[in-house]
Amino acid sequence: MTTADWQDRYYDIDQVLNTPGPRTDPAFLAGDGVKDFLRNQAKILVIGAGGLGCEILANLALTGFKDIHVIDMDTIDISNLNRQFLFRQKDVGQPKATVAAEFIMKRVPGVKVTPYFGKIQDKDDDYYLQFNLVICGLDSVEARRWMSATLVNLVDPENPESLKPLIDGGTEGFKGQARVILPTITSCYECSLDMLNKPTAFPICTIANTPRLPEHCIEWASVLEWPRVQGDKKMDTDDPEHIGWLYTVAAARAKEFNIEGVTWSLTQGVVKNIIPAIASTNAIIAASCCNEAFKIATSSAAYLNNYFMLIGTEGVYSYTFEHEKRDDCPVCGGESLELSISSAFTVEQLIELLVEKQDVQIKKPSLSTPTSQIYLQAPPQLEQATRPNLSKKVQELVPEGGEVTVTSTSLPFSLSLRISYK
Amino acid sequence: MSASEAIDITAAQAQPDSKTRRYDRQLRLWAASGQSALENSRLLVISGSATSTSVLKNLVLPGVGHFTVLDPATVSQRDAGNNFFLEGESSIGKSRAQEAVRLLAELNDGVEGKADTSSLEHILDTNPGYLASYTLVIAHNLDPKLLERLSTLLWTDDTLPMLVVVNSAGFLGEFFIQFHEHTIIESHSETAPSLRIDKAFPALYEYAASLDFTSMDPTDHSHVPYVVILVRALADWKAAHGGNVPQTTAEKKLFKEGVQAMKIKFDEENFDEAEAQAYRCWTETRVPSDIAALFQDPQLSTLGPTSPPFFHLLDALWKFTLEPPHTLPLSSTLPDMKANTTSYIHLQKLYKTRAEEEKAIFKAFLTVPIDDALIDSFVKNAHGLKVLRGKKWGALDADPASLAAAAAASPKATATHLALSALAAVGSPKPSAEALTAAAQALLPPGVELPDEFSDAVGEIARAPSADLPNTAAFLGGLVAQEVIKMITKQYVPIDSYCVVDLVETWTGMV
Repeated sequence: MTTADWQDRYYDIDQVLNTPGPRTDPAFLAGDGVKDFLRNQAKILVIGAGGLGCEILANLALTGFKDIHVIDMDTIDISNLNRQFLFRQKDVGQPKATVAAEFIMKRVPGVKVTPYFGKIQDKDDDYYLQFNLVICGLDSVEARRWMSATLVNLVDPENPESLKPLIDGGTEGFKGQARVILPTITSCYECSLDMLNKPTAFPICTIANTPRLPEHCIEWASVLEWPRVQGDKKMDTDDPEHIGWLYTVAAARAKEFNIEGVTWSLTQGVVKNIIPAIASTNAIIAASCCNEAFKIATSSAAYLNNYFMLIGTEGVYSYTFEHEKRDDCPVCGGESLELSISSAFTVEQLIELLVEKQDVQIKKPSLSTPTSQIYLQAPPQLEQATRPNLSKKVQELVPEGGEVTVTSTSLPFSLSLRISYK
Repeated sequence: MSASEAIDITAAQAQPDSKTRRYDRQLRLWAASGQSALENSRLLVISGSATSTSVLKNLVLPGVGHFTVLDPATVSQRDAGNNFFLEGESSIGKSRAQEAVRLLAELNDGVEGKADTSSLEHILDTNPGYLASYTLVIAHNLDPKLLERLSTLLWTDDTLPMLVVVNSAGFLGEFFIQFHEHTIIESHSETAPSLRIDKAFPALYEYAASLDFTSMDPTDHSHVPYVVILVRALADWKAAHGGNVPQTTAEKKLFKEGVQAMKIKFDEENFDEAEAQAYRCWTETRVPSDIAALFQDPQLSTLGPTSPPFFHLLDALWKFTLEPPHTLPLSSTLPDMKANTTSYIHLQKLYKTRAEEEKAIFKAFLTVPIDDALIDSFVKNAHGLKVLRGKKWGALDADPASLAAAAAASPKATATHLALSALAAVGSPKPSAEALTAAAQALLPPGVELPDEFSDAVGEIARAPSADLPNTAAFLGGLVAQEVIKMITKQYVPIDSYCVVDLVETWTGMV
């Protein structure tokens, strides 16, 4: 592959690879060794070929990574084209990973990009073990939690190669963040779950009985009216006909209640939970992620320790800090989470609490003690067998100070709770 | 579009066109008004470097009207290696401007791109009027003498384009926007406007006073909006306390207990909301201090028919606030709160009606005709107005005392700025750290030492004095594009000094 390296191809980058800077680790071996590792040996995985992913792939290719893999399960939509700059109108409907990989290989000679059009959960530990580094450019919290937990689980203390640095980026409008996670060493994604904004949830009684906002009318259309009228037909929020139906129903309800402001755009925004996104913010965050990848792969400069937060709405404000590891993190902490609940709490209420609690947020949790099953979401037989426990008090099933193990099929880890009663 | 109009058209007609769908994720940030400003803008970018094309990419994608890349250079081997908007080896030897424009224009059919292979020096010598047709000029790592000529020329008249100066070397970079004056109505301020509970307008007061809490239906009772509860509770309190609001901690506690005592059932959340918001009763609604400061703006003392509409609006706002109740015009935006539909919509209507009345009062203070949509926007966003006054590029480096003050206030960012200024001043392709340090020292007043952090910054500059690193280019490209969007749309708040970037430790700072 080095045949594609015409003379002075890396003239700019070589300036920082030929010489250390004042803050470079003394272990940095300037010169050919580091260039050979970067250009001929390093293997890097990019999760997501969307807004951040397109930028990440381009930056990695230009900085000299030549063996890049990319995973994305999405296809290209017209609303991607205002920022996902490897895609054109003609690509709409095609898999993002494939189109992005082809574009990079055509534009940056000698770089091999291997796409996978599918889910990260399709891949096993051996797959992830082949990479030196992983960069995530995702918009899904669930996928990030899965990736972070998977890389933490991969760490084998006997084998230093099993520790895969994870660089994670995220954006929303003019704001974004980039962070470096060294699994088991620094705080992981799960450690910072409580930093996420709480998703706006409207109480079902407001939606059904006392709507005040246009959003309430839209939720009524999508949560209550769709299943009532359309039966088992699955709602596809990418289908304009479905959005059109929701919009019409929501607008009619809004009129009935004298509520203003139901529009097509708002309907789509509410049902798809759309986050505003622009090329410039993605560029900043992706550049930051790739710069960390470059520094980690080459040791040419110290890397971010460990969190960079940017707010671009008022001037350029950023904050770089060390996010601390949580001892009771279910993924990397090792200690159980202390949970104090009322002695009147039922199992069902405990499950609700686990779904909503900021630092837990486990959808559809299954609960067990070291000796018995409290409630299992699947398989159906076990769900049925344990269902009667839902209405029982937790205290009847778990002693004071007792351990409860919480698992969920969506997450590759279990959370250990130590229960006490108020 | 109002709800009643929306209902009369079919869903198919409401479905956005393909352009709106393409721009959906950004229209949610700057709306059609911002988009239209972008589409009417014309950008001139000096050089087709990796950083320049990175900036442009982020402005072509959202749809600026026109861009020109001004660059007489041909693509070198190193350009072909570090610039995504060149096609590797096959671009070598071709015009850098033409290659970059060809590949950038592919990103958006709605944008006009032009390559100009003349030199800036030639334009400055023979046809400086060339620059006047642009909205904004961006220059990356421009020769210091040409930059001085360019910035001086563009500073002569405030109708000439703004200038964005971007400089970078290796992991370090900075940029600066040269502009005379920048006024912002839609700052997208995150502070909510006052609900004026402490100065309830007559219709709100009468409504709150008319409610009979004791004989009310229990369901209605638990759905009275907290705003109404507080207006009533405050009126009752004032009647019993000689017209005074709760003042001491004890009184405030008593007031909150009074609100809780109005409950007829323990789980009435609207009264809990009222208690939590009770501070609004004794926090007097006044003109926010940053808005009051705008009334001292020199533009107001010289206001005339040719003054920009913004200052006519600001003048009217000032006059409005001189009358009771000495507040900004009421905002019609009501946050969500525990309430049933009828009581919420009724309250919303009260606020809307009063906001319209106050807007009419405001309009009467205007002395020139101004478009209604602009008046609406101004009144709606009155609590977030901004006026920024910029400086000429280079003014800071020409002022040793200010530099010394900056070095004391923010040593890390100033050290990096000084190192980049020194690189420009030394003008050698491979300057030594010693030469750079001497050049930086010369910018400071005699006897003032360089910040301790300077050695870190200067070492990086000496290490990679001419490196346009792809990641640094992309990072600066994103930051600069964000600021350019804010300048062009006149939405959100742009920077008004140097923004400095260090990608070794990954931080940004302001000088």
